[in-house]
Amino acid sequence: MSDYAVSVKHVSKKFRLFHEKRDSIYESAAGFFQKKRHSEILQTLDDISFNVKHGEIFGIIGRNGDGKTTLLRIISKIYSADSGSVDVKGTVIPVLSLGLGFHPELTAISNIYQSSILLGFKKGDISKRVNEIIKFAELEKFADTKIKNFSAGMQMRLAFATSVLVDPDVLILDEVFAVGDINFQKKCFDTIMSFKKRGKAIIFVSHDMTPIRNFCDTVMFLKEGKVGKIGSPEESIAAYVDYLGKHPEITAKKGSVLTDLEKYEKDYLSRLKKQNK
Amino acid sequence: MTSIREEMWKTRGILFNFAISDLRIRYRNSILGVLWSFVEPLLLLAVLFIVFSTMFKFEIPNFPIYLLLGIITWNFFKNGTTFALNSLTNRSSLMTQIYFPRSIPGLSAGITAAIMLIFELMVLGIFMAAFQFTPTITILLLPLILGLQLLLVLGVALPLSVLNVKFKDTEFIWGIVVHAGFFLTPIFYQFDMLPQAIQDVLQFSPMVQVLTMAHHVVLYGILPSVNTVLYSVGSILGITAIGYLIFRKYQARIAEEM
Repeated sequence: MSDYAVSVKHVSKKFRLFHEKRDSIYESAAGFFQKKRHSEILQTLDDISFNVKHGEIFGIIGRNGDGKTTLLRIISKIYSADSGSVDVKGTVIPVLSLGLGFHPELTAISNIYQSSILLGFKKGDISKRVNEIIKFAELEKFADTKIKNFSAGMQMRLAFATSVLVDPDVLILDEVFAVGDINFQKKCFDTIMSFKKRGKAIIFVSHDMTPIRNFCDTVMFLKEGKVGKIGSPEESIAAYVDYLGKHPEITAKKGSVLTDLEKYEKDYLSRLKKQNK
Repeated sequence: MTSIREEMWKTRGILFNFAISDLRIRYRNSILGVLWSFVEPLLLLAVLFIVFSTMFKFEIPNFPIYLLLGIITWNFFKNGTTFALNSLTNRSSLMTQIYFPRSIPGLSAGITAAIMLIFELMVLGIFMAAFQFTPTITILLLPLILGLQLLLVLGVALPLSVLNVKFKDTEFIWGIVVHAGFFLTPIFYQFDMLPQAIQDVLQFSPMVQVLTMAHHVVLYGILPSVNTVLYSVGSILGITAIGYLIFRKYQARIAEEM
């Protein structure tokens, strides 16, 4: 059991869905006397268990609102689970909703320090890597620019560069390919592969099935907060597509925007196969 | 739940870094920058001095120094707690994107206020020189008194940071507390000017005790009484313990409320 990088056991999480959010004492008191039902319980995650091995790329797919981000937040300790346990070996860096909690009023460099120190890395270690991070993110000209002046793509690049160069044991990537140009996507892809080679675990969430199919070793399909399927990419994607049934948008969408990336991945994979031979 | 305390202890080194970047953000794009922490108490001092020495004819010896000491001591409490109030709500993206001990923003708000206090104490030193006031040796106890006050500031800042996420009213209620506290603490008057009945009630305020001790050691060369010391240490430890319990109750799920 102990050789798993991430081990999630029977995790459940409920949220209260407020129809009219009450966040002042007066509203709470008034609501208490009215006895009007103002919230309902939403079972966002229901008995989720899975393991991620060292050197494994673990994909998670599913519809919007079916609990993917909540699950990632629980693994990275931002939320706490109602029941069940999460066991993570070593340091974990989540790149969620395109950022690392950057402060808009701080410069790129200050943000690298703030986020990685908060995540538990040593200041000295970060100092050694700051230049490398800025170079990787291709932001040499903008190192002392405030984040509020950055585009979404630049922020994403900075977040990704920071998260990979401080070298965590587990990397959580939520839709990292949504922004960033083809060049940077290639760089991300190469880095993810080198992480895998060095025995690090990667949890990868995407709505785009192409990278899921090409990168992931194991894929979990989250179906309305429950485990729909854990298996090879093909099996899980098949289960997902099957579930979507009358909603084939997701399969129709690929191919248009990401053709180039797809082509690149195929090239890369064939090169990789040749190398291995 | 020793784990929260352990986590807070382990990350104590981060607090100072965090407080510095907080100061940087606070004075961004302001021409005077950190000078504001000198300007604001001095302006308040000027107004209070004019009102109370000319209109009300208060006769407190060394009134400018008496006033300034009161203002900076009160400012320390006011700044630390009000910075803490919005320390989590202002960082919703940080809170929902990475995990870090939830105590850091609230506690570092107290540290930020302490850094500003050091600047303000320099102004106090300049004032003493300008008015040719020589304090006695007892002034060496001032750092201890301010250290005790720092514990009070942290003990109040920590629960305020989570309570303001949970209940938006906290901000308004605390605004009133701070406003009332300014008048109910002997900043621009002497405590014994008040009617005995009011003194009996107000003496329970730890800020009244802290400021009285500060007046004694800085201006009058008197050591604080054993009773005063025991009461202030006891009440401040009590407040800090309650503050910690409130924080512990809400901290785990605070990101979900953002």
